[in-house]
Amino acid sequence: MSRRKNSESIGNDSEFGDNYVEEPDFSDPEDFVDDIAEEELLGDILQHKPKETGGFDSIIVVDGIPQVAKEEKKPGSDQKTRLEKLQNIIKKLYNSYGTITNEYWPIDANNKTKGYVFFEYKRPEQAAEAVKATNGHKLDKTHTFVVNLFTDFEKYANISETWQPPEPQPYPDLGNLHYFLELTPNTPSANASAATRRQEPDCFNQYAVLSDAGGSTAIYSNSLPEPTLIEERKLWTEKYIKWSPLGTYLATLHGKGVALWGGEKFGQIKRFSHPGVEFIDFSPCEKYLVTFSPMAESHGQPGTHAIVVWEVLTGQEKRSFSADRSAAVWPALRWSHNDKYFARLQRVERKDGPVETISIYETPSCGLLDKKSLEVPGVRDFSWSPSDTIISYWVPEVNYGETPARVTLLKIPSREVIRTKNLFSVIDLKMHWQSSGEHLCVKVDRYNRAKKEKDDTIKYVGVHYNFEIFHLREKNVPVDSMEIKDKIMAFAWEPVGSKFAIVTSVSNTSNNVSFYCVKSGTEPALLKTLEKKACNHLFWSPRGQHIILAGLLNLNGVFEFVDTNDFTVMGANDHFMCTDVEWDPTGRYVFTAVSWWGHKIDNGFWLWTFQGRVVHRHNVQRMCNVQWRPRPKTLLSERQIKNIKKNLNKYGAQFDLKDKMRASRASKELIEGRQRLVKAFTEYRNKCIELWKEQKPRRLQLRDGVDTDSLSAGGGEMEEESVELIVKKEVTIIP
Amino acid sequence: MIAYTTDKAMGNPCEIFVVDSRTADGLNAADPIVKIPITNGPKVTSMLWGPLDEYLVTGHESGEVVQWDLRSGKTEGKKTIMTHEHSNKINDMQLNQDGTMFITASKDHTAKLFDMATLEPMKTFKTERPVNSASISPIKDHIVLGGGQDAMDVTTTSSRQGKFEARFYHLIFEEEFARVKGHFGPINSLMFHPDGKSFASGGEDGYIRLQEFDPAYFEFRFDY
Repeated sequence: MSRRKNSESIGNDSEFGDNYVEEPDFSDPEDFVDDIAEEELLGDILQHKPKETGGFDSIIVVDGIPQVAKEEKKPGSDQKTRLEKLQNIIKKLYNSYGTITNEYWPIDANNKTKGYVFFEYKRPEQAAEAVKATNGHKLDKTHTFVVNLFTDFEKYANISETWQPPEPQPYPDLGNLHYFLELTPNTPSANASAATRRQEPDCFNQYAVLSDAGGSTAIYSNSLPEPTLIEERKLWTEKYIKWSPLGTYLATLHGKGVALWGGEKFGQIKRFSHPGVEFIDFSPCEKYLVTFSPMAESHGQPGTHAIVVWEVLTGQEKRSFSADRSAAVWPALRWSHNDKYFARLQRVERKDGPVETISIYETPSCGLLDKKSLEVPGVRDFSWSPSDTIISYWVPEVNYGETPARVTLLKIPSREVIRTKNLFSVIDLKMHWQSSGEHLCVKVDRYNRAKKEKDDTIKYVGVHYNFEIFHLREKNVPVDSMEIKDKIMAFAWEPVGSKFAIVTSVSNTSNNVSFYCVKSGTEPALLKTLEKKACNHLFWSPRGQHIILAGLLNLNGVFEFVDTNDFTVMGANDHFMCTDVEWDPTGRYVFTAVSWWGHKIDNGFWLWTFQGRVVHRHNVQRMCNVQWRPRPKTLLSERQIKNIKKNLNKYGAQFDLKDKMRASRASKELIEGRQRLVKAFTEYRNKCIELWKEQKPRRLQLRDGVDTDSLSAGGGEMEEESVELIVKKEVTIIP
Repeated sequence: MIAYTTDKAMGNPCEIFVVDSRTADGLNAADPIVKIPITNGPKVTSMLWGPLDEYLVTGHESGEVVQWDLRSGKTEGKKTIMTHEHSNKINDMQLNQDGTMFITASKDHTAKLFDMATLEPMKTFKTERPVNSASISPIKDHIVLGGGQDAMDVTTTSSRQGKFEARFYHLIFEEEFARVKGHFGPINSLMFHPDGKSFASGGEDGYIRLQEFDPAYFEFRFDY
């Protein structure tokens, strides 16, 4: 046949016909060395490669099963022999841990089962789980399973005779975790290197700023006149940061778990592995950390639970819980003030329906107190007293008042009921403990009448509010009642003292703020009502006495600073679109912040004094959060505090002097800085001007000789020209 | 000579043209003195002539500032220097009085002062809003910045009237020392009068404001 166009194709052998093309050669060239390991190519298949010793890992031995005689099966009958029944029961139990590939029921000389059985699972992990779950399982009154891995026998038989105690690990010196509280004497070197030193010679509070939408975390010291940066790290946390309650640690959240940092250089102290952690909570004395991860349950991995309690100092996992509906509110585990107990609400399935219980656990064992939960049908909420191990909880009313609602105070661990109070016509209830634990205020929403609507919802008519104040320190815990007609927007106890403030809404736009003083024996006395305030939140200073009336959210961030000793308004100002208000632990300064989580522009925080004067305005790109570092309780006794207050004048003079020195030092530095800048810049400008002058002839050339260098030079003059025009000609004839 | 740029639209890339305005033919876009296409790069948002008509400086949508040499080729301009100091679009660039420095106003909330010949950034002025325009005073070491939200975000900012301000910064110390209120929409363009005694500003609200300085402005001094 005639040659075709593709005669250039490889190996064209025209003998065999036009369409035949020889196959390309697939074999490797002769000196080819395979440099890709087999694992990379076939890794997943290789994992299933049968191992030599692997077989034994999946075998478990179950001991303690009943001994049953092996009977002959009666021909023609459907009834199972006793042995078969036993086998079915046990197999059903063990099938749930994995696929059983092999089983062996050894039988002794008398034709009875020896009392133990061997099971083999497909995978060693399944065997391990079966051991963990069923070891100690009670089959019936007389038979308890004892389950082990087959390999365990060998391991325990071969324990060496000489036992070496584990070597003591060197104590990791974490440094001084409380460095941030220390006072150093004002040595000459301290002044010069105050910015680089990590200690706090002048007792400034520290605060942490999370900015750049979480990408950057910075810790500052609130020094005057400008804050000093102590530490800044990018991507220190993946989600958010939190200080521990006494300020010792900074916790950061990551995809794999939680890390704690602290000490002078903020080194990593501990790590807790809990994949997918979303929320954390510290116990009040910083002994324990609770983490919550919604992911753990859904992955179905046994052994990782949603809520885990860790011990902070050792990093050990103490106890874990699976999440149920009670974890809808965080914190799910609530601690007593001294870290001795923690409790949670649970809905437990019982034979005759679900029952709400309060489960109280004690530390350090993390076991259920008295091995029994507190069964309280219908309990809605509970809270610990901040100063004693007392729980208060409440049960709503049943059937519109058939059984009244009840608030109960319970002492732990004795479970002795200190006080109960029945309340009628209750819609809802909120409990507020005062920080010193002396009073408990219960806010009750009450109705006059209740109507049941067509679609089974209940409509309440005539809603009013009551405050029940429990006086914990008096004998028999007397309760005082107080009624309020208006709708209550906010409630806040004074942290130190016996006052509380409420915001009532009189009309849509204006709210009243009322201050009450709590005395035992009578209902709370109204101290003062401030009317027509744009306020929907209350922030007391942690030392008491001062309060900020804040209008957040729809009121766009207006603030009034009130001194509650005489109810004068010390200052009023606003921070547009403010989302957070944070007092520092000493009560001297306040932050108002616009968080990026709430508002996408204008993020930053302002620093105010407690009197309402703005000290600083910081604009920080995409700032998420600013938190003061908490301080532990003061070590001074009451007498010492009184002494200091008496001699305040003497100390005051000292501090004033210090402040003056600091201010003058700052301005001197500033001026020096400025002088340097001016010098550098004028040098540069002189160079430019030289160059410009040299270029002048060229410029004139380009512009046809018109000098454009200054306004008045050549040609910039305006000439005035007067032109007369005849507008109108009028002829008037005068007689 | 006139230099102008075209926008990236209708399939045409962004291009820089330099044409001769002295003849009628010269204005025809088909026969420019220099034509620089910017095919793969970010589009040009602002342009300035160099001091002796030797080069052009352009600011781009990505925040880059590029210097183009016009003397080299006939129709091609050569990119001589490029810097990328801003992280977002450059809204405006303005020269100072002698053409040796220029200031760029960018959407990344800052304005920067550059040297004309080397494109070296010398000063940075920080604000919290996108800066739409900046101008250098001819007689004092001051600059003025004007900005505000993007037009579409205006309704979400403070509802107080006249909150949009022209802000004055000291050129060397980068510190703000004065604000002039008046506009109730973002300020889009600003410029000092060539004699330095007043300035003009135009805004999104449709108003042009001419503001003369009172004696206190001229007497104001920073301590140093």
